[in-house]
Amino acid sequence: MIRFTALALGFGLTAFPALADLKQAVEGQLTPGYAAFAKASADLAAVAQMDCTPEAVRPAWNAAYDAWLSVSFYHLGPVEEDGRALAIHFWPDPKGLGAKAQRALLTGDAAALEPAAFADQSVAARGLMGLERLLYPEAPLEGDACPLIRATATDLARMAAEVNAAWPGYAATLMTAGEPGNAAFLTPQEALQALFTQGASGLEAIVDQQLGRPLGSFDKPHPERAESRVSGRSQRNVVLMLQALRGFAAALDDKSPLTMVAMDRAIGLAEKLDDPAFASVGEPQGHLRVEIVQQAVKAARDAMIAEMAPALGVDLGFNSQDGD
Amino acid sequence: MKRLSTVFLLTTSLAGPALAAEPADVVRNYADIAEAVYGDSLTTAQTLRVAVGTLIAQPSEESLLAARKAWLAARVPYQQSEAYRFGNPLVDDWEGKVNAWPLDEGFIDYVDPSYGQSEENDLATLNVIATPHFMLSGKEVDATTITPALIADTLFEAGGIEANVASGYHAIEFLLWGQDLNGTGPGAGNRPWTDYAQGADCTNGNCDRRAQYLLAASDLLVSDLQEMTADWAEGGAARAHVTGDPQVGLLAMLTGMGSLSYGELAGQRMKLGVMLNDPEEEHDCFSDNTYNSNYYDGVGIRNVYLGSYTRIDGSVVKGASLSDLVAAKDPSVDTEMKARLDASVAALLAVKTRAEAGEAYDQMLAPGNKEGEMLILTAVKALVDQTPVIERSIAALGLSKTAFEGSDSLDNPGAVFQ
Repeated sequence: MIRFTALALGFGLTAFPALADLKQAVEGQLTPGYAAFAKASADLAAVAQMDCTPEAVRPAWNAAYDAWLSVSFYHLGPVEEDGRALAIHFWPDPKGLGAKAQRALLTGDAAALEPAAFADQSVAARGLMGLERLLYPEAPLEGDACPLIRATATDLARMAAEVNAAWPGYAATLMTAGEPGNAAFLTPQEALQALFTQGASGLEAIVDQQLGRPLGSFDKPHPERAESRVSGRSQRNVVLMLQALRGFAAALDDKSPLTMVAMDRAIGLAEKLDDPAFASVGEPQGHLRVEIVQQAVKAARDAMIAEMAPALGVDLGFNSQDGD
Repeated sequence: MKRLSTVFLLTTSLAGPALAAEPADVVRNYADIAEAVYGDSLTTAQTLRVAVGTLIAQPSEESLLAARKAWLAARVPYQQSEAYRFGNPLVDDWEGKVNAWPLDEGFIDYVDPSYGQSEENDLATLNVIATPHFMLSGKEVDATTITPALIADTLFEAGGIEANVASGYHAIEFLLWGQDLNGTGPGAGNRPWTDYAQGADCTNGNCDRRAQYLLAASDLLVSDLQEMTADWAEGGAARAHVTGDPQVGLLAMLTGMGSLSYGELAGQRMKLGVMLNDPEEEHDCFSDNTYNSNYYDGVGIRNVYLGSYTRIDGSVVKGASLSDLVAAKDPSVDTEMKARLDASVAALLAVKTRAEAGEAYDQMLAPGNKEGEMLILTAVKALVDQTPVIERSIAALGLSKTAFEGSDSLDNPGAVFQ
């Protein structure tokens, strides 16, 4: 109804229903999300400069991590440039490349910690996960971690600021979809499909990665593979990611009740787990409980594809997480 | 309405023979190309098997180099088959046996002390070649004779760990080249031929078992490729999957193109390596043949769209194509698709040209090698940029990926393995 009014009034941007959905998802979710992440990362860098002890830095690190999770599902635009998304949140790291690169940085030439040089370091050593290993070390770190904590926080703040600064340009590309001169999106539907695909892929990533990795199989669970196990954030991450995806899906399309019900169910189950680091997947009961969450997220994705894609008139596109 | 269709028909008929293509012809040609490309992969694997036999019977520098040459030749058709993988569960289920990557090579044979221990693979330094008896998931394994069956049934993904790639091209590559210990400096793996010398000349121990492993892995590669070639022959299951309902086949074709372009080749295999500056993050990391593997992946994607494949003997399998179908629906999408595919193949060729001029792919991954990095990322961008046009082709043909989602998704190869 709102749409028809807008159409009747002849507002340029809302002339196509698809553009109204686009605008809500972009301006309601992504634009404030990137701004909040940039602010939280800048705060983290400032805190680390003042006091680099883990106890002092942890709250700001957790706040920056929370902020990232509201946009982490989104893999298009400025986050994908210069490997930023990889560096901001490099996980999983099955070969332990991050810890290895950090050992070299902890004991090596301090020149590598200068901002320009640090930005060229392996993505595995940087970002939120790099900081996590320094703030919640499982074994005593070699050397003084303080300069590396500061360098990593500063580098994270730089990337978050760059993403936030470049975002309006990309947002404009999304919202001018179908206009002459927009080669990226020839129709509003193409832009909408790109966003829809990000949402569905975000749910898929939770199933396969955040939940799938620690679950392993019933006979061979891998609690040690849970994301951010050492900081006890595994469950929190899943809840926050699901909440972000629910908000994003609702902004894209408010006419898909089954999808919303399925998302709410998944969020409710994830919140109720009471298993911060997914340690319980090693026990049959705990494994089952986390598996039930995984099934609920899978069901939410299925609902999104079955209900929302036709409602929006889009198909599921390819995503950057395809492949093994 | 009638007038519009007449105009449409007139316009498209001016475009030439495009109108003649039928989906059934297109998927049949796609299956014919698959049969040819897997057939060529089989032929070159059989040649490799002969060369491996010679290396083992008469170990020498020459016979080792001849086996390596045969391996490199075998990669040319196989990589062009990879575009068949993601759209077809049957291919995807099978593919890990022959081309899984990356691998923890210390599972198979000796490695340098710098190799370290994997955090997620307690078998990463098992060294089957040096260990005739070992425990696996609480059971004693008798590996006194290394056979194709032992590799396929017991060693492959041992302990449920994907990095235990016991079979396929990359296991054989490791056994022919050995570890590349040059980091991001010049040089590939440098395994001495004496690793296969029997008796007093044997280096690094267990040369008899190493020969046994290499022979068994080569036999297994041949039999796996025989299976896949038969699956694409008339009456085969993989052929039936795409020809039974041509619409399913067309979607499989485009899904294979898109998933390989974007998530797999551009993402996992190319961009990640640059961002990690990790010389191990190259697809053919022992032989430094990555530039060829990536290039022929790109060529294979284009083959699927153009409905044309140049066989190893130079003959061409060609027929009704996706390009014909898309052109009939929307000539501008077809024109752009062809331009994008040419651009990605050209960008991958630029990496290949630089590598052939002497700078190996892993050197391009070195921190601070801005030129190498730019060349690789240009190819990544070209692959990413062609993906939306593949989506446009899906839309132009009135196909839908969502209709096939919900169970194990076609665009999620990972799920098929779980």
